[in-house]
Amino acid sequence: MPDFSPIYVLISCIPLECLQWRFMQQALFALFLLAPMASVLGVEVINFRMAFFSDAIGHSAFAGVALGLLLAVPPRLSMPLFGLLVGIAIVAVRRKSALSADTVIGIVFSAVVAFGLAVVSRAGGAARDMQRFLYGDILTITETELAFLCLLFVFLAVFQLWGYNRLLLVALNPVMARAHGVRVALWQYLFAALLALVVMFSVWAVGVLLVTALLIVPAATARNLARSAGGMFWWSLLVGITSAFVGLVLSAQDWLRTSSGATIILTACCWFAASLVVAGKRRQRS
Amino acid sequence: MLATEVPALVRFSHVQVRRGDRDILEDICAEVPTGGSTVLVGPNGAGKTTLLMCLLGEQSYAGDIFFTGKTRRPRMAYVPQQLALDRSMPLRVDEFLALNRQKRPLWLGLAAPIAHEAAHLLALVHAEHLARCRMAHLSGGEQRRVLLACALAREPELLILDEPEAGVDVRGERLFWEVLDAARCKCGFTQIMVSHNLPLVAHYATHVICINKTVRAAGAPRDTLTSHMLMELFGIPIHLYPDQCDPHDPGCPLCGAVGEEAQVVDCAAARKARESARMAQYSDLGKHAHA
Repeated sequence: MPDFSPIYVLISCIPLECLQWRFMQQALFALFLLAPMASVLGVEVINFRMAFFSDAIGHSAFAGVALGLLLAVPPRLSMPLFGLLVGIAIVAVRRKSALSADTVIGIVFSAVVAFGLAVVSRAGGAARDMQRFLYGDILTITETELAFLCLLFVFLAVFQLWGYNRLLLVALNPVMARAHGVRVALWQYLFAALLALVVMFSVWAVGVLLVTALLIVPAATARNLARSAGGMFWWSLLVGITSAFVGLVLSAQDWLRTSSGATIILTACCWFAASLVVAGKRRQRS
Repeated sequence: MLATEVPALVRFSHVQVRRGDRDILEDICAEVPTGGSTVLVGPNGAGKTTLLMCLLGEQSYAGDIFFTGKTRRPRMAYVPQQLALDRSMPLRVDEFLALNRQKRPLWLGLAAPIAHEAAHLLALVHAEHLARCRMAHLSGGEQRRVLLACALAREPELLILDEPEAGVDVRGERLFWEVLDAARCKCGFTQIMVSHNLPLVAHYATHVICINKTVRAAGAPRDTLTSHMLMELFGIPIHLYPDQCDPHDPGCPLCGAVGEEAQVVDCAAARKARESARMAQYSDLGKHAHA
């Protein structure tokens, strides 16, 4: 297990009282890993018009936890694995079926939520466990999960370096991308798998209800502010990281005491509102 | 079947596509001459795009597609009808052209040689002034020329275009064909495209394949786009060449003969007639109900 204490020492140097607690340092570290991943994938989610897809994956968290309960597997292992499976299954059905993407996603969405609720309704004690996933709880993240997040972060960084251009080409026109030598299926599956894993971790941070917002709001803000496709990447990153930091710190203040996930998303939404004003002014000028 | 002795780059041999119990393409046998501008002509639902998709490997089919004189598939490029772009997408034209040329991701900026290459490609399609514009803000004609530039960047041996001029105004359409023809002559690729603009096909194509599930005619435009063939394909009289006009045909707009003049409708009278017809229908229904 890697030793993250130097990072915690670094975080403790930030002159904020709330960041002197270990659980807050862990939470901030986790958010600094998770927010950039979600923001950058959000850019591609918007390009692919896949907001509903990430919502379906997020909601499959219920079924993942339920499956864990049934098979006596820790929910924190069964959840990401099940999300991965659902993500790949949606892409596979979409590629083979003549049905439209939102219909396929809608069917999978309903099936996984229904399955999760059915299991929860049988096992009475599980309902409270489920609530944690509904609203998210980044403050309880463990060192093992942080280590996995670090691994995922490195993998995603390589993926973005290697695949950003290709994924954009696939989003614009898959037939053209394939004709121009891009391995469309490979990129679609890789993207879905990574997105599923990031969504599942984001469920811990902000909860099922807000997971799509963590992906979409920074990327949508970036669309309003950026002047190029490259700029969109950096704006999304900036909005995601600052929202995570400000949201977490605000939620820990005595005068606010709100859920950290909700506060992060509200901060991102403030960014979005400001970006609307900027975009409006820019349109007037042009 | 070929009008000239130019060898074929692509040969469709008994290509057949079925969807469910419906034949989309039946026994297609045709050739695409090397270096030529081949155009697929036919009504909607004739299977033109499906044939292009077979060529691209996007559609499964029975039969064979041979690439003559090649041990491998020729390097292909494809110009689609449109991209999935919405107006908020900040993708610039030079970035779009770099997507498949540059290994470095766009968020690390454009490499100088790639930006230079993009400018050169844009000049080739008369769009050098668009380099810094957003793709989503281009007009239909401009976007198609940029798509053509993107395809030319691959230095294709075979360029495939699916109705690239659909939704473009007359001037934009003409410019697109001009640019395409000049690029083909300069770069020396073989071209196969679907088009509905018959006068421009007659002007620019070197080889035409008339298709309606099967090949109805193939050859030089003047030999294939005859009024008889166009009547068979589209079910309306179209005369592309003056010498094919029938002087006794009162409805030939191309040679100047007009059968009936268009009329301005008397809206009030038409509305009155419609209402009285509806009233008559209601009274009939009432009688039936009583009976």
